[in-house]
Amino acid sequence: MYQLFFTPQWFNGFDLVFEGIILIIALLIAAYSWKIYKFSRENKFAYFSIAFVTIALSFIVKIFTHSVLYFFSVREAAATVLAPLTGTGLQFADLFYRSAFFIQMFLMLTALLLIFFIAQKSRERLTKLHEVSQMALFVYLIFLISFVANFNYVVFYLTSTVILGLIVVQYYKNYLNANCNKNTFNVLLGFLFILIGNLFFVFVYLYNQLYVIGEVFMLIGFLILLRTYQKSKRVQS
Amino acid sequence: MTNKRRSRLELIYDILLSIQNKGGTIKPTHLMYKSNLSHKLLNNYLEELIGKELILIEEIPSRKKKVPSKVINLTDKGSGFLAEYRRMREFTDAFGL
Repeated sequence: MYQLFFTPQWFNGFDLVFEGIILIIALLIAAYSWKIYKFSRENKFAYFSIAFVTIALSFIVKIFTHSVLYFFSVREAAATVLAPLTGTGLQFADLFYRSAFFIQMFLMLTALLLIFFIAQKSRERLTKLHEVSQMALFVYLIFLISFVANFNYVVFYLTSTVILGLIVVQYYKNYLNANCNKNTFNVLLGFLFILIGNLFFVFVYLYNQLYVIGEVFMLIGFLILLRTYQKSKRVQS
Repeated sequence: MTNKRRSRLELIYDILLSIQNKGGTIKPTHLMYKSNLSHKLLNNYLEELIGKELILIEEIPSRKKKVPSKVINLTDKGSGFLAEYRRMREFTDAFGL
């Protein structure tokens, strides 16, 4: 079976639970942002919502692929479903895994790039034509990176680390602009944890236990984002 | 007062807040001054807010004039929106939107 990198055996399954939690958090944030968009009709809220839905989709693909990799029964079920497509002789072909990893990486990088654009840009800039063409170029590059990363996974995590670094810088600016507001600090902290998590993933090839630390940091990052979301929902009228 | 251009959401909030500050009922002209909007722009927003049932227009018969005068009332849904807006604002500020 094809794997991007090898994860610690004892952690198989736990990472799926972590990612399930992250998936729910991403969907909650996306839903609330969409609610704001429905009322305000401002594009930035729709883009933000789409970014988090894309993160959720990326995790759905990751959970599915890893479930197939980890668990025999899921593998059997997937083999039966995919048999008409892959043929009986091609069960769990590399192509299936490579496609799944490609989709997962492409979605995640697209989402992170979108968050970076939204955090960086002033109002309405995303609607301008040159911004759209700029984004199209970035999407192409992400497509390319996701493809290359299938042969060397480090490319993916390095790219996501760089984009997350830029997002953290943007949220640091936002924190300073908001007069060091606690919620803006929490968002900054959340993305900082996700960034550190990604940094650990880069070095998994050296020591596979780093995958566990990376997953823990990612989960903490998203839990901090959830806390910020909950706090903003609890504001007294 | 800052020179920063208000977003759509902020404008809607300012309109509804102006009505609430006047005890839930306001005359259109007063609202125009309070929310600092042009007549045309205010009418556009009012139509939308009526459609969303956040406000309603009431016609009150006037002794002096032949045509009844109009007042704008804030609905319960409108009051609810003001509370929700503060939550939305907290969220959008936190995420730098």
